[in-house]
Amino acid sequence: MPALHEIQELFKESLLGGASSALLDLVEADGLDPEACLAVYRHHVFTTLTAALEAAFPVVCRLVDPRFFAYAADAFVRQHPPAGPCLDEYGGAFADFLAAFEASTHLSWLPDVARLEWAIHRATNAPAAEPLDPVRLARVAAADMARLRFVPIPGLAYLASPWPVDAIWRAHQEPVRMLPDLAAGSVCLEVTRSAEGIRVRSLDLLSFTFRRTLAEGHTLGEAAEGASHLDLMDLIRHFLEANIFGSFTVATAEGA
Amino acid sequence: MLAGAPWARAGIGLRSRHVSELLTRRPAVPWLEVHPENFMSGGTACASLEAVRRDYPVSLHGVGLSLGTADELDRRHLDRLRSLVDRTQPCLVSEHLSWSTTGGAYLNHLLPLPYTEESLAVVAEHVVQAQEALGRRMLIENPSSYLRFRHSSMGEAEFLAALSRRTGCGILCDVNNLHVSACNVGLDADAYLEMLPAPAVGEIHLAGHAVNDADGRTILIDDHGSRVALAVWVLYRKALARFGPVPTLVEWDTDLPELDVLLGEAHTADGILAEAVGRTEHARAA
Repeated sequence: MPALHEIQELFKESLLGGASSALLDLVEADGLDPEACLAVYRHHVFTTLTAALEAAFPVVCRLVDPRFFAYAADAFVRQHPPAGPCLDEYGGAFADFLAAFEASTHLSWLPDVARLEWAIHRATNAPAAEPLDPVRLARVAAADMARLRFVPIPGLAYLASPWPVDAIWRAHQEPVRMLPDLAAGSVCLEVTRSAEGIRVRSLDLLSFTFRRTLAEGHTLGEAAEGASHLDLMDLIRHFLEANIFGSFTVATAEGA
Repeated sequence: MLAGAPWARAGIGLRSRHVSELLTRRPAVPWLEVHPENFMSGGTACASLEAVRRDYPVSLHGVGLSLGTADELDRRHLDRLRSLVDRTQPCLVSEHLSWSTTGGAYLNHLLPLPYTEESLAVVAEHVVQAQEALGRRMLIENPSSYLRFRHSSMGEAEFLAALSRRTGCGILCDVNNLHVSACNVGLDADAYLEMLPAPAVGEIHLAGHAVNDADGRTILIDDHGSRVALAVWVLYRKALARFGPVPTLVEWDTDLPELDVLLGEAHTADGILAEAVGRTEHARAA
């Protein structure tokens, strides 16, 4: 009699790959073909996981058409089944998968559209947070400013792409099938969640690098390296207006 | 068991598409049930659940704990469930007699167990762990079956009864699942109801199923995509006659209808429940 763990591994192989004869031999003949019985379970697994991916990547789905999306999702589920039961957290590896997926390599902008959608999806599901009160920042001693470390609000994400993925994303909020001018060139994007909803901002390279460096946990001094004093005042003013950080700490000399 | 709650009434499974209408109209439905997995990341869904909870008793009906896995329980998921239970103060907490996780992969389905002493030991250990972590009793639901394992040494009802004895857990008797399993793998639904320990049954589920053809044989698919079937209403009356009036929930997940259709199904269940309450009171008086 096979152990439970062995049966469950055989079941997994049979769902994600083809039905294993070792598993089929364990199934009682109740008048139904054991392969047909397994197919009921497999069908549910693939349709629900494909639906979860469609919910996270609606624009990718519109861009490639639902049949191709289902084909890609099928291959993705087999290679990358979810690790846990919260399906709104499933799909983080989909953009990298698409980048390597042979059938869509000609759509070179597609993985970055998927990255943007994943950032938006994560921001949508992030817990709400109060943005930083600028008054608190004004109280920081000038000598401590360079050692400030900011804590991003949940869901904050940065994405640089050689393609105008924000324009592609906006043009496909409804099922229209027209690509914007791909020659429009590269973009540096910031995705945030606020009380008003999700916001996708296009930033200049300086702001993008500065804010992303801060969001990665570097100090203000580190992020400001190379920026002039005037630039820095502007950068700080703009990131405060953007409500992208929730709090800050002053790094100790050792940890700085 | 549940002070001040509208007990022995019929509620509905609440899905995201109906939330805003429910919050606007506040229909007189006695209680609601949600899947906790949809409220674990934070985000706008959690705020809606809090708003719903202010006006309605809410039951948390888990689908992701994988109590039957031969691996360890997912501690992170259990911690998140505990946190949601603390925040929501649900009237009931339930899970399934099934498994979904093996070797780090979560296979999004309630997969079947062989009913053996080994499985019983695994599920019982996990139910005890979960009940300790949550600090409360759970109800465990019978799954819809599409296959059975040859080497099962006991029936499903016997397994659930033993699990309840061993862990103190309650039983969620899904009457639609029982009907689906009876047709697909030849369970005797009446004998099944007789085998379940009546005092342990703390909730009943009702839902619709699809009737499919597989190579000339009928196979019922538990898709929660239609009204409760006549045969399931008949079995529901039998379940109430056996268990007494038990809080009942109507689930609908695919091809979601208008909210009123779902409320109408719950209203029908409520009528049948009221008859059962009447019978119980009559029996007490006699």
